[in-house]
Amino acid sequence: MRGGLRDALKELLSSATGRVGVIFLIIMVGVSLYAVAANPLDFGSRLWNNPAVWADNPENVPPAWISLFGGSNRVKHSVLETSTPREVRQTPAGQESAYAFDLDYPFDEAPSFTSFSIEDVTYSSRPTTITLSVTRPDGKSLTLLRHVVPAPRPGETYPVVRYRDSPFRVYLTGDTSVAAEVSRFLQEEFFVGVQPHDLAGRVDQAIFGIPDAQAVGGFQVLKGRYRISVLARSQDPLDSIGKVRFVLGGSRYGLMGTDSTGRDLARGLLFGFPVALTIGLVTAILATAIGTATGIVSGYTGGKTDIAIQRLSDILSNIPLLPILLFLAFVLGQKLWIVMAVLIIFGWPGLTIVVRSMVLQIRSGQLVEASVALGASPRRIMARHIIPQIAPFVFAQMIFFVPAAILAEAGLSFLGLGDPSIPTWGQILDQGFRTDAVYAGYWWWILPPGILIVATALTFALIALGMERVVDPRLRMARQ
Amino acid sequence: MSIAKTLAIRGATLLGVLFAVLVMVAVTLGATGFSDRMLTAIVGEEVRGLRQGLAQTIRDSDELERVLQERRQQLEESYGLNREWYLRLPQMIGRVIRLDMGEARTLQSGEGSRRVTDLIRERLPRTLLLVTTATVITAIIGLLLGVKLATRVGSKTDRLVSLLAATSNALPAWWAGILLILLFAFEVRIFPSGGLYSVPPPEGGFDRLQDLLWHATLPVITLVVVSAGSWTYVVRTMVMNVAQEDFVTVARAKGLPEGVVTRRHILRVAAPPILTSLILGLASSVGGAILTETVFNWPGMGRLYYDAILSVDEAVVVALTFMFTLVYVAARLILEVLYIMVDPRVRYL
Repeated sequence: MRGGLRDALKELLSSATGRVGVIFLIIMVGVSLYAVAANPLDFGSRLWNNPAVWADNPENVPPAWISLFGGSNRVKHSVLETSTPREVRQTPAGQESAYAFDLDYPFDEAPSFTSFSIEDVTYSSRPTTITLSVTRPDGKSLTLLRHVVPAPRPGETYPVVRYRDSPFRVYLTGDTSVAAEVSRFLQEEFFVGVQPHDLAGRVDQAIFGIPDAQAVGGFQVLKGRYRISVLARSQDPLDSIGKVRFVLGGSRYGLMGTDSTGRDLARGLLFGFPVALTIGLVTAILATAIGTATGIVSGYTGGKTDIAIQRLSDILSNIPLLPILLFLAFVLGQKLWIVMAVLIIFGWPGLTIVVRSMVLQIRSGQLVEASVALGASPRRIMARHIIPQIAPFVFAQMIFFVPAAILAEAGLSFLGLGDPSIPTWGQILDQGFRTDAVYAGYWWWILPPGILIVATALTFALIALGMERVVDPRLRMARQ
Repeated sequence: MSIAKTLAIRGATLLGVLFAVLVMVAVTLGATGFSDRMLTAIVGEEVRGLRQGLAQTIRDSDELERVLQERRQQLEESYGLNREWYLRLPQMIGRVIRLDMGEARTLQSGEGSRRVTDLIRERLPRTLLLVTTATVITAIIGLLLGVKLATRVGSKTDRLVSLLAATSNALPAWWAGILLILLFAFEVRIFPSGGLYSVPPPEGGFDRLQDLLWHATLPVITLVVVSAGSWTYVVRTMVMNVAQEDFVTVARAKGLPEGVVTRRHILRVAAPPILTSLILGLASSVGGAILTETVFNWPGMGRLYYDAILSVDEAVVVALTFMFTLVYVAARLILEVLYIMVDPRVRYL
């Protein structure tokens, strides 16, 4: 058996398509291992489908590298984060911790949004007061936000801990009190009267700009160095803040851009690698194993067993797969293992039929006849004479099965019946299709998952193509 | 073995397929409690209709409730709701066969009917139009190209086509469809991005037909693109296998023109296995239609399936699962008959 497979591998590596396929496969396995190591196994439910994780990302923006191709200077997405104050002052009233971020702003547009969050606040007597303010390149400064951490609840003992599990987050762009502060700032500094509700959703234009009646939207971008300051006042020297974060929403993000909920598509696509390989390989290996075993049994034993297996596989292999797959996923629930089980159940019979006919042919050959005459047991004949001869063919069939399984799962996911706890490329495409990303031209959302599906399926198809000559010796003759 | 017997065996297998699907659908629905929910919904609907009718004649509310309760029990009895699910399996299968699946929850046919039967009657021809057109085009392309390639196995063209075949095999129909929409409906605006007719549909039979074909172009191209490659490859391999047989060499040695050798000797022998793989390919084109119709918003059975899943319409999902199998089995039977016509060995065995 080893001899047959080793020859098959040698043959595979001697063809160009086979070599390319194998190289692709190695890359894919490498990426998959990295994805599994870099992400928790419950990535889907814990991170991917948890909106809180992606709240600070811009929505529907293309990848960052698109800026390399020119165009105006668009805002780069920046997350400013710190857990250590620049300065801690002791005042008669208590303690003042000052956090600050310096921000260079050379961009031609206002940020798509800004948000501010604090995490893990501890106080031992008076609740901490937090003030967020911005100092602009023109020397003017404005206070955006004042927040008092909620007082102890009845029965709660000091020290009080707040915002440990879910941070306190303010979406500055849409906040009405911020709009009121900005409106007052514009009135005092520029003598421009803008009602707070007119600023709703676009306070960032005012914070990062100067009023200009000529400019689009009424503000001209003010470039230069900004300073974002956060001041925390409390009484006790032991009081602390875990993390302070200011997010400047960009119109470019990461390696692969984001989807309509701000999810980093690069991470979803990365996690799709191990999922796709698992679906393809596990399904292919199991279906091939069952198909080969039943095929050998059917061909070698004959009689009633043979008829029973052949009738069953005739029926199973004739059932159109996708409608049944859809139906079962719809009724039994959207679980990946159910999908894989269905693919295996309907996948093995095709192989059984072919393996049986091969076994029949080998069994009637002189080699087997001679072995039987020498007194070899059926088990020995199967192991020594039958399995080695069909092994290369079975191996090639297994390779063929991998892309079929991956494509079936992708199609199912695309129809909205994917397992929601495990993100796959098909699901990413499905979400893009449903939210009309196709019609909006969000190519970074539509093209990469499809390309990855094709590339994965093609990898195995190339390997199978490279094995063609192993399976069909006539091709070898044709070449000579 | 006579033709009749061969056909009978094939027919029996296909009937077995149909029956297996039915039993599977029924058992799955029963064991998961789906059928209970569906039937309860049907009964509830009928009782509600009855209440509106009776409210006019029976004024006494207690009397009304009693009559309705009685009627509900009758209905539950007739639908078998008072029995365990496995006891009403035969009845259930019968209902599916008659397509007596009640009404869709929200989906409607063009004329506003919510009967599942009406929905399917309206959608089926549209799917058939798409799938048959695509299959015929694919078959022609595959035959022409495949035979040509088989004579130069190992050449550059052959390897290129093998590679393209592998690519087209790896290409999901729906993604190919999306790419075509992006390209031909949004970049170069020469085809519509989806639908059956323009809005509003043009008047006059000929204009209407033209509009329909214009809308069908991209979906058909999609179906052809994803299946033509692998099919060409199949034809090429089959023809090549036959072309290396001794009798072909003899035919050439006799000095027969290459065209005659190909037609009379190679294709005649290669036709049955080629037909077999066309038969097997049908299964995937049925599936391909579901996805392609979804992408192109083509209101056939595939799009109906997608909409039924989105709106969780059990009755429609069950009926369509059965219909897809039925269409597939019917197509298989037609091809089996063709097969017998093409392969004399089956007849004279």
